[in-house]
Amino acid sequence: MASLVAEDVTKTFGMNGTSLTAVSHASLAIERGQFVSITGHSGSGKTTLLSILGGLSPPSSGRVLFEGTDLYARDGDALSDYRCEQVGFVFQFASLLHALTAKENLLLPARFRGAPGRGAAVEARALALLELVGLRDKADAYPAQLSGGQQRRVAIARAFMNEPALILADEPTGDLDEETEAEVMKLFRTVNEASGTTVVMVTHDAELAGEAGRRLHMHRGRLAEGLPASGPTVGAVARR
Amino acid sequence: MARELTVWGHAVRNLRRTPARTGILVVAIALLVSVLVFALSFVRRVDASIRAASERLGADVLVVPTGSRGAAEDVLLDNRVKTFYMDRSIVERVKAVKGVARVTAQTYLATLPGGCCDVPESMVVSFDQESDFVVGPWLAKKLGRPLRRGEAVVGSESAFNIDLGLTEVNGKLFGSVFRIVGVLERTGTGLDTAIFMDARSVDQMFRPGARDVPPSSISVVFAKVEPGVDPRVVAGRIEDTVVEADAVARRDVGQNVLRALGDIGRMFLITFLLASSLAAGLAWAVFSGVANERIREVGLMRAIGARESHVVRLFLLEVLLVGALGSAAGVVLGTGLTFVLGKGFAILRAATADLGAGDRAAVAALGLAVGTGVCLLGALAPIRSTRRTEPLAVLKGG
Repeated sequence: MASLVAEDVTKTFGMNGTSLTAVSHASLAIERGQFVSITGHSGSGKTTLLSILGGLSPPSSGRVLFEGTDLYARDGDALSDYRCEQVGFVFQFASLLHALTAKENLLLPARFRGAPGRGAAVEARALALLELVGLRDKADAYPAQLSGGQQRRVAIARAFMNEPALILADEPTGDLDEETEAEVMKLFRTVNEASGTTVVMVTHDAELAGEAGRRLHMHRGRLAEGLPASGPTVGAVARR
Repeated sequence: MARELTVWGHAVRNLRRTPARTGILVVAIALLVSVLVFALSFVRRVDASIRAASERLGADVLVVPTGSRGAAEDVLLDNRVKTFYMDRSIVERVKAVKGVARVTAQTYLATLPGGCCDVPESMVVSFDQESDFVVGPWLAKKLGRPLRRGEAVVGSESAFNIDLGLTEVNGKLFGSVFRIVGVLERTGTGLDTAIFMDARSVDQMFRPGARDVPPSSISVVFAKVEPGVDPRVVAGRIEDTVVEADAVARRDVGQNVLRALGDIGRMFLITFLLASSLAAGLAWAVFSGVANERIREVGLMRAIGARESHVVRLFLLEVLLVGALGSAAGVVLGTGLTFVLGKGFAILRAATADLGAGDRAAVAALGLAVGTGVCLLGALAPIRSTRRTEPLAVLKGG
């Protein structure tokens, strides 16, 4: 059974009396442990689709199922719990809380999880993740003391903090140099292969997209299997 | 050792991000609470003094010459030197009134410093040791025997004024020498400034020199009523029977002052309500600004799994911290003002009863609750607005 399913999802925004359809009749099914990339031009609806899959924004029509249950039939707290426990977000911009240190930004999802923003084990995990992104020595630095790339790496580490089943990454390597970019991609592959974490990554970069086991493409809100040149099957339910 | 990331710690960090703004709100709440604490302490202290004074008189009804009730209250409550007289026969007439159990009389003589007397201006209270139940209890405790001819005991304030510390001191009253043999404990009444002497001594030694005092006169009759009888009813009967006297039940002593105090309290209340509105408005403005500035941050927190309650709790804690900090500072400031400015108010100088620890604690608790509550009230709308933050709209803004 697919872990994450979108069924005929459409998202329309109303703006100044007109409506804009960001995602149009998109359907897909993602098996647990898949590494999926979504490419597409700016404004093609990639981020909106990612937000819908991540429980951040309900679709105007259609359904999203996670492990067989309708995500948006849940109440607000249950949806928050889904984002907290099942999803690790990597946003396309630096997304740290400025009042907290790098390590504390990692501890935050653990605190929201209810247990534990406390305790040596949780702190040890936060430090290990910072080590993984090469920022162990910046654990006590505030975001203002970090470069844009360093902040991005902290945000990536934070996405792994609650050991989520699903990583949703929106242009995760945008601000990073080549070396760090490679390390981050390696990190994604490692968690994907080692722990079966599902990764859905939005990117402009065809080369990065090629590292994913499955490629999707979006064009004007429509989702297609494969790269653009490979002949889209618009709106199809694609399984691999 | 692991340093925990608690919601408290997070709230404190957020407040420290904008120290000036936080400080302004803390100061505003502190000023508000200091006004409340000062006003409450002021009113309660005067009120307690008047009630304590009337309680300590030991009588249920006071009878004074018609029109002299205010003067009597001035003497008893406000340490002022005033004299008023009525005929001694009134004592027996009051005693005959239905419901009266015991009576005793006192006569007040005013000293004139530099002339007749070598003591500062004060009241000489002449009392009948046989019938007395007002001074007697203190005297028995302090001296252990009745006063003899020419002897006096003085109130605690009088002793201070005369620069006593020692007993067995000779003085001169109305041309005759008297001996001070004791200092009474502080009573909380205006009689703390008086000199107490037995009526026979006064009649024999000092009355002839006190030319303004009519012969065979007294100033006040104190009456105890029979058990179960309402002192107000007895006071009414006395006024009906003795038309040349005013009678006032003990619990009505100081009512004029208490009414004035009530007006002062209402003025304080109006001022406080206006100041509270201002402080709540300031809290609203400050936390609206905070909520707007942090809209992206709140969206981010929601996106990574914060429930609405997590966000609301964080903001609430910030508000409560500011409110509690300001209120605590206000309690300290207000209490300090009570001590420092209290000396500048005649009504407080006269107030002999001080607030007890329980009263002070209650005033402090009320100050803390009100200051924090006002801060919370002002911040409610901004806190509610944070609940409506849509994570996606915020995040797409970048």
